[in-house]
Formats: sequence, structure tokens, C-alpha cells
Amino acid sequence: MFNRAYKKILQLPGYLKIWIKSFTGALTVFCVIGLILLPFSSNTPSFQNVMLRTFTYAMIFSIFAASWDFLAGIAGQVSFGHTIFLGVAGYICAILVKFLLFPIWISIFIGAFGAVLFGLIIGVPCLRLKGPYLALGTLAFSLIILLILIMGSLSEFLYGGAGIPALPRLSTNPTIEYLYVLAFMVISFIILIRLSKSKFGTILKSIRDDDTGSRASGINITRYKLYAYMISGFFAGIAGSLYAFYITAVNPSGNFGLVNSFFAIIMASLGGIATISGSALGAFFFVFLEYILIQAGFGNWVYLIFAIILIIVIRFAEHGLLKPILERLKDLWDILLGR
Amino acid sequence: MGVILEVKNLTKKFSGLTAVNDMSFEINRGEFVGLIGPNGAGKTTIFNMISGFEKPSSGTIRFNGQDITGMKPFKIVNLGLVRTFQLVRSFKYLSILDNINVSCLSRRGKKIAKEYGIDEYSSTILASVGLVDKARIPPIILPHGDLRKLQIGKALGTNPELLLLDEPFSGLSHEESVSITNLINSLHSDGVTVFVTGHVLRELMHLVPRVIAMHQGKFIADGSPRDVANNKIVLEAYLGKGEGFA
Repeated sequence: MFNRAYKKILQLPGYLKIWIKSFTGALTVFCVIGLILLPFSSNTPSFQNVMLRTFTYAMIFSIFAASWDFLAGIAGQVSFGHTIFLGVAGYICAILVKFLLFPIWISIFIGAFGAVLFGLIIGVPCLRLKGPYLALGTLAFSLIILLILIMGSLSEFLYGGAGIPALPRLSTNPTIEYLYVLAFMVISFIILIRLSKSKFGTILKSIRDDDTGSRASGINITRYKLYAYMISGFFAGIAGSLYAFYITAVNPSGNFGLVNSFFAIIMASLGGIATISGSALGAFFFVFLEYILIQAGFGNWVYLIFAIILIIVIRFAEHGLLKPILERLKDLWDILLGR
Repeated sequence: MGVILEVKNLTKKFSGLTAVNDMSFEINRGEFVGLIGPNGAGKTTIFNMISGFEKPSSGTIRFNGQDITGMKPFKIVNLGLVRTFQLVRSFKYLSILDNINVSCLSRRGKKIAKEYGIDEYSSTILASVGLVDKARIPPIILPHGDLRKLQIGKALGTNPELLLLDEPFSGLSHEESVSITNLINSLHSDGVTVFVTGHVLRELMHLVPRVIAMHQGKFIADGSPRDVANNKIVLEAYLGKGEGFA
């Protein structure tokens, strides 16, 4: 009886088995297990409050960057206003939890669906825009919302430039907070990667590569572009909700600041555009380099140094760092196994 | 039988220039028709209007009796009217198989492809255009002749009734032309109505039983290739006035 149940659990679907045995599969499982075990490696307050918090921050931005990568890298809709999703979801969460006393967990998803709605609001007028014009259009949207929040009549209700302070955290225990965010990140990445490798992803990629050709193949590109905006908005919204509870406040320049959009773009480009998982690499690289630079007293130089790194990466590894790093690791792996 | 495509008084004006001027013609189901004319005659503009990529200034287009004038391209494709482009178009970061898959995922393509499985159905299309051994590679490294075959394969994925081929032979070597010719012939014998453009008379002469000729946006002749090639106005359009044709 037990033996049979045990055997059934071990009978993973065939492709999952092959995947885990493959190099990238094994590496992914290894990284995820490492991330799960990380909070239990040390109990010191500095580790819990600084290191784990930094990891949590990196994971939230991994989701955000991956959602940008889905929209830009897979569907080809290069947005420079991605921070709208981050901000909208964050503000919805703040209003729901602070004024309407919603539970945190429900507000996270309502925030994400609010971002989906904004995906449509931005997506519909931007459908006809391509390339640099789309980037400018989304940038303009993001500026409009920022200005409305700071100067418009909404600003009185939403505390204007100061924003809504004193939100609760996901959990007062940094370890539990970390694990919650990790769960969100793993699930988001699984969904985004599965989507991008599915037939649905193939259609999105065809729109990215040649939208006229896609129309001539009988694809309703309007519909699929909007799907892409909505899916990307959902996951960016999840990141935005988590971010609001992570910094326990929302304000226009922090949540709607253009710099967030550029963070997502830089992270995804560092990791490798259209890889999805590269966004996680980029986000961790970015966040920890920022952390190290601030610790070393170069806090004011962070953006300059990032800009230089981005230029170097684009010049010498235009497809991002993920693929070359994986190739090197695989070579090393093969040498270690004596192949 | 019956009329599959009916074009009536079709006109397209681009700010002052009349690219297509009052063209009318009909194509019957199962026919194999060529559209010829010198460069700039307006052949591609007609194709663009029929396939929905450009809106006519006036005139109507009916496909299977349904008015499709000004309809969106993807809707026209899903009715069964599919075109290829003069310049090869491909999804350059997708594999050849996925290039075909996209068409098979369209509303019309999916109806058939789902019965066999999308990948399997695309593979049979690749086999019929002769690219099955290259299914996994991206199109950027294909030679031009194979790209032309891919164009036709992409069109076939949507299960067309009427196939518009815009200059399918341009830029091809003789051998490549022959294999594309065989491919188009086999499609036609499978029951697809084919409408093909070309600016070189010789290529189409042996391929199609009926030719429509146009010049400077205007209809000038319709008939068998021999008749059209000996038509005085056609000769003048190609060679200028007062010269003979060997």
C-alpha cells in the first residue's frame, strides 16, 4: 500500500523527469532549494534584517523584470512605462488595506487585477504604436499618472507627493516574509516560462518578429497583444503589491518613478531579453551590486556604474549574461563529471 | 465551380497618384490565374487590397459571395483567402516548424490542425513544401529558395481556398524556380485556387492557363497566355510603341 503510493509520487511526468536530469533543470532545482534553505542558515539579527530583506527585494524585482521581459522580449511590446503596473497595484493595496481594512492576501490579488485593467487601459491606445513610438507612448502614460498623483485632485485623497505611509508587512518575521515572496516568485516564473514556451508564446513571438506576417497568417494580433499586456500587467501587479508591503508605504515617486521602469529594463537586459529566467539573474545581480556599492560608500555612483555595466553588456554580450554564464557552467560541469 | 473572387471597379489613389484604376475581374473556383504587368503596374496594390492590407479608394471585393472590402487581414485569412509577399517575410527567431505553427494556430488553421496535433500537422506541411529536414533551424540561415517555400508553407498552414502568390519567383535560380513551379502545380491539382503575379511574362506563360494583364493601374487584357502575349496593348506596355515581339 505505502509502497505503491510512494512509487506513484516518484512517477513524475516524463518530461519533468528529463528536465530535472538536464543541466538547466538540475541547476534550477538546485537554486530553488538553495533559496528555500537560505533563511535557515543563520539566525543573527543582521542576517535576518539585512541579508534576507535584500534577497526579498531582489525577488520582488525579479518578478517585475520578468513581467517586463514577457511583454517586451516575448511579445515585442517594448514598454518604458512598466512602473505604472507596479504603482497601480501598490496604491490599490495601500488603499484597500489602510482605508477599507482588507486582508493583505486578498488585496495583493485585487492589486494585480487592477494592474491587468491598466494593462488594457495602456494597451488599447498603444496598439497601433511600434518600436520607439510605443516606448514614448508608454513613457508619456507613466508621466501623466505620476503628475496626476502629485498635482491632480486625486492627490488630496491619496496624500499627494507624500503617499500613504505605515502599511503592514507581509509578516513581521523576515524569514516568513522571504518565504512568501519566494513562493510568489517561483510560481510567477513557472507560469511565465511555461507561457512563453507554449503555442501561445509562439504566437506572441511571431508578433514580435513580424506583425504584418503574423496578420497574414490569420492571427488576430490586437487580441494577442492585449493578452500580453494583461498577463504582464498581472505579474508586474503582483510585484507591485508585494513591493508596497515590503517597503510598507506607497508614494508617487517611489512607486510610479520612471526609474523603476528602467530598473526592469536594465535587469532584463543584463540577464538576457526573451529568456524570462534571465530577469532573475539580472535582478539579483543588480540588487546585490547596489547593496555592495552602498555598503562600500559609493551610493551616489550606483546609477552611473549600472549605466556603464549596461553599455558593456550590450556591447559584448547583447543577448545578456544568462546564456554565456550557463554555457561556462555547463563546460565546468562536464569537466567535473569527466565527460 | 462558381466565382470565388469577384473584383469590381477597384480603385486605389495615393495622394494624387492612381495606383489602381477601375479594375474589374472574376476568378472561378479551381482556376489558376496569373496577373502580369510591368514593374509599378499596380499588381501588389491589388493584392494588398484583396488581402485587406490596404483599403480601396472605391470598388468592391467579394470572396465566395461575401463582401470583404476593407475587412481586416486576419479575418480575410480565416475566410480562406491567403496571400504571400513579394519580399520574403519570416519570424526570424522562431524555428521553421514554429513559423508554420503560427498559421496552424490561426482560427481557420486550428480547425484542421487540431485533429492531427499542431506540430504533426505543421510537419506534414513542411514535408509537402520540402523543408522537413530543416524543421528545427531558424529561417535566417535558409537560402532564398527555401524561404520562398516557407512563404508558401506558412500560407498552407491556414488551409487556404484561394492562394494569392505575389511574385513567387523573384530572385530565384532556375532550379529553385522549377521546384517552386512544381509545388504550386501540385497545390493547384489539390484543389486550391491560385492567383499569381509576375512581371516576367515568360515565367507565367508555361504555368497558368489564363492571364490578366494590367498596365499603369488599368486593365488591358484577359485570356490565354498566347493571346495576351500577342495583344498589341500588352506589347506596347512592355516594349514601348512601334516595336515587335519575337
